Amino acid sequence: MNGFVQGDPLLCIGCRTCAIACVVAHEGKRIFEIDPDGYDFHPRLKIVKTWAVSVPVQCKHCENPACQAVCRSEAITRIDGKVLVDREKCIGCKSCVEACPFGAVNMAPLGFERNPDGSNRSVAHKCDLCHELDGGPACQRVCPTEALRLVEREDLERILFTKRQAVLVAASSPELSRPNFF
Amino acid sequence: MSNGVHEIEDAKLLFVFGYNGADSHPIVARRIVRAKRKGAQIICVDPRRIETARIADLHLQLKNGSNLALVNAIAHVIIEEGLTDDKFIAEHSHGFDEFKDLCQKYSPEAVSEITQIHPDDIRKAARMYATSGQSMILYGMGVCQFAQAVNVVKGLANLAIMTGNFGRWGVGIGPVRGQNNVQGACDMGALPNAYPGYQNVTVPEIQAKFEKAWGVPLSNKVGIPLTQVPHYVLHEPPEKKIRAYYVFGEDPAQSDPDLAEVRESLESLELVILQDIFMNRTGQYADVVLPSTGWNEHDGVYSCCDRGFQRIRKVIEPPADADVLTDWEIISRISTAMGYPMKYHNTEEIWNEVIALCPSFVGATYEKLEKYGNIQWPCRSTDMSDRGTSFLHKDGKFANPDGKAKFSSIDWQPPTELENSEYPLIFSTFREVGHYSARTMTGNCRLLRNLEDEPGWIWMHPDLCQELGVKHGELVKAISKRGFCLARCLPTDRVKKQAVYMSYQWWVGACNELTIAALDPISNTPEYKYCACRVEKIKNQLWAEKYVREEYAKIRQSMGIDNKKGGKAA
Repeated sequence: MNGFVQGDPLLCIGCRTCAIACVVAHEGKRIFEIDPDGYDFHPRLKIVKTWAVSVPVQCKHCENPACQAVCRSEAITRIDGKVLVDREKCIGCKSCVEACPFGAVNMAPLGFERNPDGSNRSVAHKCDLCHELDGGPACQRVCPTEALRLVEREDLERILFTKRQAVLVAASSPELSRPNFF
Repeated sequence: MSNGVHEIEDAKLLFVFGYNGADSHPIVARRIVRAKRKGAQIICVDPRRIETARIADLHLQLKNGSNLALVNAIAHVIIEEGLTDDKFIAEHSHGFDEFKDLCQKYSPEAVSEITQIHPDDIRKAARMYATSGQSMILYGMGVCQFAQAVNVVKGLANLAIMTGNFGRWGVGIGPVRGQNNVQGACDMGALPNAYPGYQNVTVPEIQAKFEKAWGVPLSNKVGIPLTQVPHYVLHEPPEKKIRAYYVFGEDPAQSDPDLAEVRESLESLELVILQDIFMNRTGQYADVVLPSTGWNEHDGVYSCCDRGFQRIRKVIEPPADADVLTDWEIISRISTAMGYPMKYHNTEEIWNEVIALCPSFVGATYEKLEKYGNIQWPCRSTDMSDRGTSFLHKDGKFANPDGKAKFSSIDWQPPTELENSEYPLIFSTFREVGHYSARTMTGNCRLLRNLEDEPGWIWMHPDLCQELGVKHGELVKAISKRGFCLARCLPTDRVKKQAVYMSYQWWVGACNELTIAALDPISNTPEYKYCACRVEKIKNQLWAEKYVREEYAKIRQSMGIDNKKGGKAA
């Protein structure tokens, strides 16, 4: 099963430290060595703030990804429990942006590669769970309120166990245990 | 703060008043989140739907500038419903009868229109605060940046006294101060009325003590507060005029209210000296710039808002080609050149002099700071067992001569400049999480600049945006009687329609062009949280975008930043 990073709106304070950590993790040390305006600042998660909720939204790493299904250039693949975009293969058709039910895929300029007319070449851009980077998802590590966590198989099992137990407790209360719903 | 920041987690109820931890101090906000997780109730008082409001059990979205009316109404309910701690009041306070009389007229119904809060919610808040058994008040600039500020603080203290929420773990009242080490600046006597350790300049014995220690005659007169500098430069007769201004780690040309007046006074001064780590707006008016080291290039001691001293240590050498000195070396040299030889070898020597002269800091030695990491004053003994004071007023003993707390009976007073037909909106300032204070430091951090950059946002209710016909991201013009600035429209239902909000660090979107220099009579803090304004749509967005770009480039150029090199200093 693919893991994914989940944000808890009861803990998130909307500070966007995760967004900065995302860029730093993917750009590496070069970010501090090059011209300040010479790299692209495109976090792979987006902090959404509404009346009731503040929380980062990022890729769910679906088991049967809609983005992958609509991709015509085979740029989206599942590798090592992650849904990844091959930026070289991406033709920038934006079908995945439209297909994703969570708004987790965005378009971002590559920075180093140009279109024939000289403009920036934009490609599909999304969370890769810090693929091939040390220490796992950077966003989760830096969150000051521990609002982000990596959810994997065993975490799902634990959530399910808690839910089932809650149902059992409810079912064993006298008024609910009467077999009157058949 | 009367209590330690670490105690926030253990309170049973947090009464968060005009304090937005998530943007001002994420590290303190973390304590609020943890308190919630441990089961604490939260009451949030703020005109905006801030992050704390989202997780609060009760959010009182009051009208801007109605603070004391609400605080007195809460006291009214506590008295009316008999929720006072009568034993604590009788043994540890005076002035309660007078305060009781004052509160009579502040029924929740009477203030409901002023505060825009339903009387039931005021009653609910009062009951929650008075009955939790362990309630802590946290307040911030939403209390302090008004012309009626100190009196609201006294009002909040009234609530804590009347319910016995002082002198224990996890209670008290906490001003979570705006800037890092602003507490330290006050602790070290960077105030017009005090020597280090809050020792008053007008007390003869204290004057004699410092004269003896420093070997010079000292003045016994209270000095001029920072925010009155423009007045003393522009409007006083020649013999009382300020003629030189030594600015150190501040940017008044960005952060003070009514910038037009600040610029006029900086221009009329005969000498302006700026000591800072980067160029800033005030530097543009400076005759001399003294470049100093950054926070990671020198040693020292910081004070946290909860009176905690912590050591900071040099982690990197300043660049070899940079002609910089530490702040204490610059001050020593200036002092020596002016005829008072000042010679120190390191910060420990300076610190030892400080604690020797301040009875409440005596025990905060480098040795203890090294061993324990954090020492909260008062710490009166050098014995290793004295680890300082986490909470003040133990056993109900207060710092007044009679050892008792004093109730203050004060009426609510409306803000100075109210909305009117020409300027129908309330204008208020707030913090941007990624940019610290006037952005002298963080504006030079590439990642933080990427997160938010010029000209900044103006928060507006979606209905207001619709009325004005402006959309998300469009540049608009915010105007007050004193000036204007451009900002990007951010429609959000986290604010009410009657008020708009901007953060104050942007150069092009400098919201202090609009703010009013109305000062609290006691603290001299300006009313950054309230003036009247209007917002106008800009039809020609192309022109506006060009204007912002050009203004930004112009400012950077005048600071010696080469625009072609992408922000590297020329």
